[in-house]
Amino acid sequence: MWHVTLKRVRLLIVLTILFVMLISSASLNAQGGGGYIGELEGPTLVLDPAQWPTEFSEAPMLAEKVAAGDLPPVVERIPSEPLVIQPLDSIGEYGGTWRRAFVGPGDGENGNRINASDKLLFWDYTGTEIVPSAAKGWEVSEDGTTTTVFLREGMKWSDGAPFTADDFVFWFEWMYSDTRITTPIADMAVQGQQGRVEKVDDYTVSFVFPGPNLLFVDLLAGDTLIGGGQSVRQSRGTSYGAYAPAHYLKQFIPEVSGKTEEELNKEATDAGFEDWVTRLHFATDWQLNPDVPNIGPFRTVQPINTEAWVVERNPYYWAVDTAGNQLPYLDRVVFTLAENPQIITLRAIAGEYDQQERHILMTELPAIIENQETSNYTLHLDLAFNGSDAVYQFNQSYDADPEIAKWLTNADFRRALSIGIDRDQLNETFWLGAGVPGSAVPAESSPYNPGPEYRDMWSTYDPDLANQMLDDIGLTERDSDGYRVRTDNGERLRLEIQAVASFLPYVQISEMIADQWSDLGIYAEPREYERTLGMTRAANNETQIFVWTNGGTELLYLFPRHAIPVDPTEAFMGPAFAKWFVTNGADGIEPTDPNLLRIYELFTAATGLDEAGRIQNAQEIWKILVDQQYGIGTVGQSPAFMGVRIVNNDFANIPDRTCIAQHCRTPGGSHPETFYFTNPDRRD
Amino acid sequence: MLSFIARRIMLGALTTWVISIIAFLVILLPPGDFVDAYIAQLSGLGQYVSLETAANLREQYGTDQPFHVQYIKWIRRVAHGDFGQSLEFGVPVADVIGDRLWLTMVVSLGAIALTWGLALPIGIYSAVHQYSFGDYFFTFIGFIGLAIPNFLLALILMYIGFKYFDASIGGLFSPEYQLEPWTWEKIWDLIKHLPMPVIILGMAGTAQLIRIMRANLLDELRKPYVVTARAKGLTETRVILKYPVRAALNPFASTIGYLLPFVVSGSIIISVVMSLPTVGPILLRALVAQDVYLAGTIILMLGTLTVIGTIISDLLLMWIDPRIRLEQR
Repeated sequence: MWHVTLKRVRLLIVLTILFVMLISSASLNAQGGGGYIGELEGPTLVLDPAQWPTEFSEAPMLAEKVAAGDLPPVVERIPSEPLVIQPLDSIGEYGGTWRRAFVGPGDGENGNRINASDKLLFWDYTGTEIVPSAAKGWEVSEDGTTTTVFLREGMKWSDGAPFTADDFVFWFEWMYSDTRITTPIADMAVQGQQGRVEKVDDYTVSFVFPGPNLLFVDLLAGDTLIGGGQSVRQSRGTSYGAYAPAHYLKQFIPEVSGKTEEELNKEATDAGFEDWVTRLHFATDWQLNPDVPNIGPFRTVQPINTEAWVVERNPYYWAVDTAGNQLPYLDRVVFTLAENPQIITLRAIAGEYDQQERHILMTELPAIIENQETSNYTLHLDLAFNGSDAVYQFNQSYDADPEIAKWLTNADFRRALSIGIDRDQLNETFWLGAGVPGSAVPAESSPYNPGPEYRDMWSTYDPDLANQMLDDIGLTERDSDGYRVRTDNGERLRLEIQAVASFLPYVQISEMIADQWSDLGIYAEPREYERTLGMTRAANNETQIFVWTNGGTELLYLFPRHAIPVDPTEAFMGPAFAKWFVTNGADGIEPTDPNLLRIYELFTAATGLDEAGRIQNAQEIWKILVDQQYGIGTVGQSPAFMGVRIVNNDFANIPDRTCIAQHCRTPGGSHPETFYFTNPDRRD
Repeated sequence: MLSFIARRIMLGALTTWVISIIAFLVILLPPGDFVDAYIAQLSGLGQYVSLETAANLREQYGTDQPFHVQYIKWIRRVAHGDFGQSLEFGVPVADVIGDRLWLTMVVSLGAIALTWGLALPIGIYSAVHQYSFGDYFFTFIGFIGLAIPNFLLALILMYIGFKYFDASIGGLFSPEYQLEPWTWEKIWDLIKHLPMPVIILGMAGTAQLIRIMRANLLDELRKPYVVTARAKGLTETRVILKYPVRAALNPFASTIGYLLPFVVSGSIIISVVMSLPTVGPILLRALVAQDVYLAGTIILMLGTLTVIGTIISDLLLMWIDPRIRLEQR
């Protein structure tokens, strides 16, 4: 009978959320909401060698091992040109355990993001400028076909083996190019043609493409398949990420290990794996396999598929602070399993976590605010840069019902519905007034933002004009309840909004919008789907309107899927068009809308353009998107997704406000390896 | 008698096999597969899966193969005592369940002991002292126990525990013992955490059993043989415990079939709400994620235990109640 009870649980949770929202909107308003939103800040990199430290020191737990002869001295462990980080507030003290929550083996991203400096290039704390990370620098050839990356001499894997260009060549030749292990990716191609990886010398690697690829540096810095870093890209059955620990992984791959495929399959099945490929994917996964060498600040000592995921400092980590202390300051991070977000909130307000921004729901703010003093923590609200946390994507390739499709693809219909939404009411009710109402364009601080007027275009509440526009496009007839009717059979025009329960109460938001649309005579029905089912329906071109965040679209070229239909896994605006786009017309449906075709053209051309050209194309794309309202933006630039951060007061070098975005790898962009405990008791 | 048992066991084995097929079918029935579920789960956690990765995963896990191919692959392994690899956890299914299994049993057995330990005496007392103050008192408490959904009780008790008793929230261990190897201190820590889930789990069951016990016993007490026994001068305790209580126990024995699976799965809702490291949340997680081998194994295990439990309860009934025993002959 438990399914009945589940329904009851959900009802109760929904009621609680709404009740809490009522109270909380009052309490946040009373404090202006701004008290918890600070200035964007973070650690900076010292790139001038003249200012680098010359003496180095290390954590006591490592010094002991050095004294015992188990580990070489610190100067031999760090590269001759380490990454020098100026911590945000102060030089830290060694020791201590960062207590955090995770929700199960699928939550590997929780730790991947703390290890995010294992990317070759990264973004600075503002999320706008590309800076070195594992690589010390980069260079793009005159013709744009070759991007060269410079490695750090003397840099080592967490087991002490040298990290060199051979690890890149190994990855490319033995992992990436083997179709049994992985499939080729668009990140490594230009105009559909694959590039290659070449070793120049031990510390220099080139990525060579058959045509100009000026976007590649951005891809290396972004959260992409090529640039995401080892932690995220070589876990959970994938093998991307540009480099791999050749000396360790060799033994699992046929030929290069000196063994045949049969021999390795035998070994794999004996060890309980399906075949050598699954065994390899286990071996590369830092979350599951404590033995795999990595280069992030932490390495796993207790795997993620247990009650507690424990990661410990990497003794060979290649970054130091300005005083020459090898990072990280913290000994370890312990993630404890919580089966549901309510438990996380309860534990957070009991002060059981040192910093937690994942899985904390904005709706729980009142309880979080109330317990700050008693449980010795501080609340920070971080604002995102994406335009809207709830975008209503109108499926342009919908074909199940021609009458519905006719209206979904009608620009004035979409515009009318957009100006029929009272975004201020949504903001107050669901974002507690902390968001910015408007269209889907990224924040004004983003170079891709086409101008402030595009925030409001077709995005301010005007029900009278909306009604007028709907009349003008021919939806004049109404039924006895005042709803507009279909033009083909005279029955009520019913739109279905598909919502999936997630970090925002999308169903409730959609219900409020449906209520606002009923003033325009438009009948819309929000339907909740289980997440998998919802995503599958969307991918199968079965949805009419799908609501989801557009997080990540602030960097349009690196993560376009929630802005334009280019990736069939999540092309809510036109799944059949996305299929057409990625298969070069072999599959899917070819769009006829000239505006959409123009978007595809601008997007495809961008790889061959320099930065100024790319910015211009991106702005152009956003202008079309806003004018056409393919996706109706509501409220964004809010703390809704990973922006409610609870930080223990003994934790230091914590930014007041940090960049929360896909490419900032929150909290990776604020370099968690510089966090430390000011309270000596916590450092034991 | 022996042929009866043998027949039951053979039928049981057949039922279990059918259960395995149905379980597998039901898990694979919803549209999409593990990879779809996985992509959807990750996108809610801030990690996005690309088209290339999805295709790759599908091939690796073999989730694009037809139903019978996947089923035969799995059941072959099961026949060899190997339940396959959990797609989500990346380790053999036995390892995922193994750690949690005995913790589940501790919690569930505690709850059953509490339920029976309270329900039997109170039920007998209520029946014997019908309409007394005590009867009304326990009836009142019992109805409250029945009426409050136990997940709500769990939330409230956890909050009170945190607010006024400084108790750690959810789970079966304090954070400092979570990672420690087994010591007496850790066992003591476990014992300190047990009462809350045990009480919450036992609560609703207790109320229900009190009502059943009371009603059954009342029926029995009015029967002529009780009057006869009294008239023969037996002591009151003996009159009640020797025959009527024994007869009233029948429903308890017949519910054992459902108790066995409960012992290993625990209550899913309570375990999720209280974040208990038991098998229940794993089953829920596996079903949502369409982690076929993990979910299939747990359901197969529960099905098998239900079958075994039913056989045991049949045997028990024959032992407790001579009437059933005689009918078999």
